[in-house]
Amino acid sequence: MSMGAAAIPLFQPGPPAEALLHAGDLLDAGVLAVDTALVVRGWNHWLEGASGWSAEAVVGRPLLDVFPELAGSRAEAAFGRALEGETVVLAHRFHEYLLPLPAGAGFPGFARMQQSARLVPLFSAGQVEGAVAVVHDVSERVAREAELRTAMDRAEVASQAKSEFMAGMSHELRTPLAAIMGYSDLLEGEVVGPLSERQKEFMRRINAGARHLTGIIEEILTFSRIEAGREGVYPEPVDPAAIAADALALVEPQGNEKGLVILAVFPEHPIEAVSDAGKLRQILVNLLGNAVKFTDAGEVELRVRADAEAVTFEIRDTGPGIPPEYLERVFEPFTQVDASSTRAKGGTGLGLPVSRRLARLLGGDLEVESAVGRGSRFTLIVPLAPPAPGEDAGE
Amino acid sequence: MNLSEMETDALNELFNIGLHRAAASLSDLTGQRVDVDLPRLWVCSMEELKDRLLEVVTGDLATVHQFFGGPMAGDAVLLLEYEKAVMLADLMTGGEVALGGRLDQSAREVITEIGNVVLSSCLGAFGNVLRVAVSFSVPRIHIESLDGMMRSVVIDSDQGVPYALVAATRFGLSELEISGYLIVVIGVKSLELVSQALTERLGA
Repeated sequence: MSMGAAAIPLFQPGPPAEALLHAGDLLDAGVLAVDTALVVRGWNHWLEGASGWSAEAVVGRPLLDVFPELAGSRAEAAFGRALEGETVVLAHRFHEYLLPLPAGAGFPGFARMQQSARLVPLFSAGQVEGAVAVVHDVSERVAREAELRTAMDRAEVASQAKSEFMAGMSHELRTPLAAIMGYSDLLEGEVVGPLSERQKEFMRRINAGARHLTGIIEEILTFSRIEAGREGVYPEPVDPAAIAADALALVEPQGNEKGLVILAVFPEHPIEAVSDAGKLRQILVNLLGNAVKFTDAGEVELRVRADAEAVTFEIRDTGPGIPPEYLERVFEPFTQVDASSTRAKGGTGLGLPVSRRLARLLGGDLEVESAVGRGSRFTLIVPLAPPAPGEDAGE
Repeated sequence: MNLSEMETDALNELFNIGLHRAAASLSDLTGQRVDVDLPRLWVCSMEELKDRLLEVVTGDLATVHQFFGGPMAGDAVLLLEYEKAVMLADLMTGGEVALGGRLDQSAREVITEIGNVVLSSCLGAFGNVLRVAVSFSVPRIHIESLDGMMRSVVIDSDQGVPYALVAATRFGLSELEISGYLIVVIGVKSLELVSQALTERLGA
């Protein structure tokens, strides 16, 4: 490993200096040597090609004569530092270029060649005798990176616009729905006059349809808020087991209607946790609702247990199960295992993606195991205390 | 080799002077206020170095190595955790590099230049107090594991048993702090030289 302190008698005639300059001609980089008076002493083939000046035209002239615009620049300061014995790195991002050379083909007009450079002092008997600069053309790389950056910015803007559109659209949809539900409630309650049984039944159907649609829009709204990074977490002291019991009570009637056995195992003592009760309830209603919705016969089981750090909810069903190739995809938005089931069972395909994202917002996670024909088991783990602010609770 | 408390204090001061200079250069370079300070400093053997770094860094590391020669010779390393290096490159360039959380070639150059500024400022401060010229190799950036870094730290065997002077550093910019480590590995001979020079200065 070279120490960079090697004494090279560069500017005295002799083999080492010539060898060094010849070696410079082999490089795909500019090699420029100056003496302590900043007079050019070496100018390799690459620089001849890039600048259009031959070595004869440049060697022996002060660098600032060749490039007057370097006077007072950072490049001049860098040469000064190298001549004081320092090794200097010039990254393109801070300096753009060391030598004002024209950019090559493919860069029209008066574009400058973008460069990264290294400058090293040359010592002889412990004294600085000069400096060598090695210059790399990074124009193409910089252009490529700029393109990539623009593409990434565009994708970012598009994704942001999509989320904002979704949030806006959902609000627009909810407002007329509120009117439909409000007035159909009034009609069904015979507030404005008596209805026939048939009319009441129709009103009930209108109402049920509107409520279902509201649920779907809520899901889309939550999903777009999470994606836009606008979903806040509001932790409070909660008993997760009690929330789970509430959620189960909501889906139990539907399960009983289908003749399913609903099992629940809760811990003996209340669990003390600090979490966002609303989000926890939303996840559990979603998971239990799915279990009941997709299970035609058999049972749905909920198990809740806690250890010192987290509470674990297991929701097991004897439904159709999920084929292995779909197992992770169920957490991607707008995916349902069988597209035909969307029509048969209803839903947006957003329930599980929303649930997993909410679980992660709470500092926990949601996983699934499944066997086709035997059923699925979803495991939700939520920490007893919320993640510290700033800690990455996302994906 | 143990340094007295007074010597450790003096060493601390030496690093502080170097880092202060580095901060001024980086502020000048980026056009924004950059602070570099030194919360902790320790001297240890190479065996200890690995154990102590294991406690404070994880994952891949971005390191800038710069070998130095002269009466005081060894290897100087700026060590950053990979993610911190990405952040630092990003902040220093005003969000211009570090695409997608990766150190691309431009970002690597940026880190190399930052390493060059910090390492040469600090070693320059050493050179001043020792009244010797310190000459440097061209800095190299490596993305490596801690084991890889330990293997890539090289010093001449004629310098004697290697020791590590480790300065925990903090880069403060845009109201954020990014921590890293500055490690100067020198042989016992060089360390004695430093210790001697510090004693003379302190005794004066």
